[in-house]
Amino acid sequence: MMAGKGFTRIYNLSGGIKAWNSEVAVGPPELGLELFDGAESAEQTIIVGYGLEQGLREFYLDMQQNVDDKEAKELFQMLADIELLHQKQLLKLYDQVTGTSMPEDTFEKEKVQPAMEGGLTTAQYLERFSPDLESKLDILSLAISIEAQALDLYQRAADKADQEDVSSILRHIANEERTHINKLTQYLDAMA
Amino acid sequence: MLWKQFFTPVTSIDANQAKKLVLDEGADNVTFLDVRQPKEYMAGHIPASHLIPMGELDKRLGELDPNKPVVVY
Repeated sequence: MMAGKGFTRIYNLSGGIKAWNSEVAVGPPELGLELFDGAESAEQTIIVGYGLEQGLREFYLDMQQNVDDKEAKELFQMLADIELLHQKQLLKLYDQVTGTSMPEDTFEKEKVQPAMEGGLTTAQYLERFSPDLESKLDILSLAISIEAQALDLYQRAADKADQEDVSSILRHIANEERTHINKLTQYLDAMA
Repeated sequence: MLWKQFFTPVTSIDANQAKKLVLDEGADNVTFLDVRQPKEYMAGHIPASHLIPMGELDKRLGELDPNKPVVVY
């Protein structure tokens, strides 16, 4: 999110405030800010966005299995449902931008999957960032950082979109991701 | 879902490296950015860090100097 705004030297403080207080180096999960490069066309943004929504949805459904708390389960289910809605909106947008009418499975197979090649699966991704899945705090922190990526992607795409209607749909989805972040942070606050 | 498209992990530094950064650059030339919630910030934070909760970060980046190194926690 920050790299796109001219920040060139960004460091994640590993271990966060805890490591700072105790002044020892620990090996914590890297749940900090991550960035991604942006140079996507409107069409590419939609494809990438669709993949991202799919990932978010998988992530939330996965996390839902990992928490016992009823309220947290409901929160993750709700977030997963909204991501599904976003996928539908994005597919509609793709048809509109490209002037095609692509069935969902064809779109996923021919466009989304190739675009996502070479990446990590959700499981590998989680392993790499190794959140403590017993810790709601870790799960929520990871979810917030993922939503922040999504928000950033949509916002940049909306700014770049030539057509006003494309831009407004992307902005709408961006705002929903922002709402998600706020919901997640409220939940974090309530836990504290 | 494959994630490589979205995430380029930021360089992680530990507390000692962060302190060395402050020594090398001068305390005024390093920004510590606290992206946690205000409650957590109040409970304890790195001295002189700037609080911008994650949910507000995109709108408030203008408060920070992009030319200075930023240590995020």
